[in-house]
Amino acid sequence: MARVFQLPVTTGRTAIAAPAVVGSTDRPRPGIAAGYLAPHPPHLIYAENPPQNEPRSTGGWEVLRWAYAELRRRLTRLRPDVLVVHAPHWITMVGHHVNCVPNPRGVSVEPIFPHLFRYHYNMTTDVELAETIADCAAEAGLVTSKLREPGVRVDYATIGALHLANPSWDIPVVSLSANNNPYFYAEAALDEMEVLGAATRRAIETTGRRAVLLASNSLSHLHWDVEADLPEDMSREHPFSHHQYQWDIRLLDLVRTGPTRAVADFVPQHIAQTASETKAGSLTWLLAALDWPAIPGDVLGYGTIIGTGNAVVEWVPEEFSDV
Amino acid sequence: MSEATVVGGALVPGMPHLLAASPAPSWKRLAEAVLEVGSRLRAANPDAVLLLSTQWFTVLGHQVQLDPNPRGQRTDENWYAYDFGHLDYDLRTDTALAEAWAAEIDTVGMQARRTHYEHFPIDTGTVVASRLLDPDRTLPMAQVSCNLYADADALFRVGAAGVAAARRLGRRIAVVGVSGLSSGLTPRWISPKEDEISDPAHEQWNSRLLGLLAAGDLAAALDLREAYSRAAAADSQLRVLPWLVGAEGAVGPGEVLASGPIWGTGAAVVHWPA
Ligand SMILES: [Fe+2]
Repeated sequence: MARVFQLPVTTGRTAIAAPAVVGSTDRPRPGIAAGYLAPHPPHLIYAENPPQNEPRSTGGWEVLRWAYAELRRRLTRLRPDVLVVHAPHWITMVGHHVNCVPNPRGVSVEPIFPHLFRYHYNMTTDVELAETIADCAAEAGLVTSKLREPGVRVDYATIGALHLANPSWDIPVVSLSANNNPYFYAEAALDEMEVLGAATRRAIETTGRRAVLLASNSLSHLHWDVEADLPEDMSREHPFSHHQYQWDIRLLDLVRTGPTRAVADFVPQHIAQTASETKAGSLTWLLAALDWPAIPGDVLGYGTIIGTGNAVVEWVPEEFSDV
Repeated sequence: MSEATVVGGALVPGMPHLLAASPAPSWKRLAEAVLEVGSRLRAANPDAVLLLSTQWFTVLGHQVQLDPNPRGQRTDENWYAYDFGHLDYDLRTDTALAEAWAAEIDTVGMQARRTHYEHFPIDTGTVVASRLLDPDRTLPMAQVSCNLYADADALFRVGAAGVAAARRLGRRIAVVGVSGLSSGLTPRWISPKEDEISDPAHEQWNSRLLGLLAAGDLAAALDLREAYSRAAAADSQLRVLPWLVGAEGAVGPGEVLASGPIWGTGAAVVHWPA
């Protein structure tokens, strides 16, 4: 890949300092401790009724929320310095962007589901890692940009995965955009996600972070285009089609047996059959960042949201399997 | 009622580059054309603007904006590093017209979703178009979203529901569709002077479409829409066109005031007088 383009307005990268230390004497070893497929439909946060979200619900989608509860238990054991999330609803038309704003905060009203998601966010960015990921991606030939403008609204896919993984927001984060150019649907775009994943891994190693990665993607993605009066009416919730369900399960069977390369190889076919949201590349990015371990993933739960397929999945590299 | 309900229609681009302090020649031409169309539409003395922007894309039903005064600052999530990536907006909604439009959409068997939330993010296309069409904010608007899954027929009916609502209220309206043409964005950071349509084939398809609009052959343009969308990755499959036709904003020959690239994509300003 020969293209390296940088915005004229980006400022230089800051010097790399020592990583934030979690307990100076018994700091866990650095690296990518785990990766999760962490879907973000706003219905999940709506159903949780956290104080940050304005709308109130009577619950719903419990099986997926229980999967997230298990993810949170495991995350506590993993003790990461940082959560790195790739999300498909921060859509950037030119290049791969990294949020380098130290403390993004505001109200995120979701334009598609404003009745479900009006979330007051207050995030702490690991700026050093964020900048290093952008630098490593640029060095690898990707078009990149460092977001330094605090006014950009953080999208619900970024907030959704981060909140559901860590509702107390007491772990710094790095947020990556989805490069959604017109060639978005081409497999070449997934190749770029492999480059971005490798760059993310390199940046984590360079900065000595202990990171957990979140791929904020749903699976099959055809869904209802009208809504019940009560959004959490679970009598209305089921797969959009048997076809979509079958293809999701085929993907998850591969996840459960591994290796991860076989999962990634199956992703384009899965996208073609189900309009899977993995076309935004988050899952491919995640598996590339994990460096394609020959391990199975642990499916913590699967369920549908307005007909789309969603799974919470964990991959723990062997070197961290004792955690 | 003797007066016409629709006083004119327009297709305008929604990319923020039109507001750049140092625009490419194409961006400048397009912006001046939108200003000109705005003058023409306002000279026809409408009560309100009926507007659809493809950048307000949704997936559930058809959202209708009911906030009487959407206002705020938008920092564009892609173009934030440029002056044109920072947009203030202070819009006025003709809430009676918007309510009536939502009711009409429900009446014809589709689902209208009434949208009225503080901090609701107004899309870049709406902000850019409204600023150039009506710099002094003299006209209230009624806005509907562009459902990603709605087919051309559904968008025709959403447009028709809008003009039916205006007719019922006795409103005179200008009809504005905010959309690009070919969407082959140049996938890298460029300087304005480098801007050109990213694919010569896209340029030919854009010209073919604009030729049909200028000739007033809307039936042929609608027939071409799907092939054009596939060949030139048209913005939202050019579903703005059936919406404009349904809302009676595109009737007869349109005058193409300007066309050209915006960061590799195709854009045009077309005016249909009543
Ligand atoms: Fe999504």
